[in-house]
Amino acid sequence: MHDRTQSPPASNERYDKQVLFRGIGPEGQRALGDATVAIMGLGALGTVIADTLCRAGVGTLRLIDRDFVELSNLQRQTLFTEADAQERLPKVVAAARRLAEINSTITIEPLIRDLHAGNALEILQGADLVLDGTDNLETRLLVNDACLELGIPWVYGAALGAQGNAMTIIPGETPCLRCLIADVPPPGVMPTCDSEGVLAPLTGIIGSWEAAEALRLLTGQPPRQGVLLADVWHGDMRIVELDRRADCPACGGTYDYLTGERTTFTTSMCGRNAVQISPAEERQISLDVLETRLARAGDVANNGFLLTFAVDETELIVFPTGRAIVKGTTDEAVARSLYARYVGT
Amino acid sequence: MRVKARLFATLRDHLPEDASDNMVEVELSEEATVGDLLDELAVPADEVRVTMVNGRARPRDWELEPDDEVGIFPPVGGG
Repeated sequence: MHDRTQSPPASNERYDKQVLFRGIGPEGQRALGDATVAIMGLGALGTVIADTLCRAGVGTLRLIDRDFVELSNLQRQTLFTEADAQERLPKVVAAARRLAEINSTITIEPLIRDLHAGNALEILQGADLVLDGTDNLETRLLVNDACLELGIPWVYGAALGAQGNAMTIIPGETPCLRCLIADVPPPGVMPTCDSEGVLAPLTGIIGSWEAAEALRLLTGQPPRQGVLLADVWHGDMRIVELDRRADCPACGGTYDYLTGERTTFTTSMCGRNAVQISPAEERQISLDVLETRLARAGDVANNGFLLTFAVDETELIVFPTGRAIVKGTTDEAVARSLYARYVGT
Repeated sequence: MRVKARLFATLRDHLPEDASDNMVEVELSEEATVGDLLDELAVPADEVRVTMVNGRARPRDWELEPDDEVGIFPPVGGG
């Protein structure tokens, strides 16, 4: 946690160019300094958003991510370095360090957490705005439910290949994400980062679009209407108008993703040969104790944030909340079995 | 009637080879719907999440008019 020691003045040299911009001004800059923004996911979109809002002087940034830095992230995830990947630092830890170097006057709340139905309200509560940097539709629909329930505006943003979307959701006012996408498509249908890849200029554009919308909303501007559809490869950008869907369950107060009706225990991870295991209830486990136990069975490394354990062709990465990422398989049953064998249920 | 269809992102794979850029003109019967157009283009329904007519998101059972321009998008889930 990096606490600011003093509130930034409404206008100072750091924010000169932004305060000069008529849409913001000294009053807008003060509003940014008073705001708390939650950034869900610190991948390509999340790092672009966090970098921009940190430099813009948003008072408190709450960073939420479940993952750690890998070499394949560096092509597009702008806050990370080779050293972060070598150390396997949790993304929010690496991001918080870098952001504190960029702007020491703001507060950064790094949360190494996996958002699920059981903790979504607690994690997002108190934010003035939620920005989307997640990598899968299920989590987005959960964020949608949670934000509608809490009455927090949020900005959906997604990027795959060269194609991205963005849309602003004001609870009770605009269409919500389920007005646009009714449900998670069946398994195997959604293109993934594995099949399509993702271009850094695209995540830059979509992340910046979300950050710009954050600056607008936090300084009292009305939300942008419609859905942005961007294709940076073919050079096509357009806004599609969208109406609220009369039969949208979420707009009608039925939160299927928040009640856990539609959320899963294990999830395959986008762009990775890996499965994540989330215990139904989080519990604190001692990585030191687990390290001692697993040292007898194979190679263990413990950096205090997470424990890595190699077994055959797979690797278990265990977090102190009991959550684990099983690398080297996309088979959820194999992952669950390894988890049960080495971490225990 | 004739309508114009634009296929975006990964759905471009379903364009006929003679399509110009991402657009194709399709001949449909009167009172055809967005869903009928998807059938005509042989785009699997599961791959489509958003359809728009003349710049506005519209459902599958929306009835088309001659010269409508229909945009067809896959869901985007990455990040």
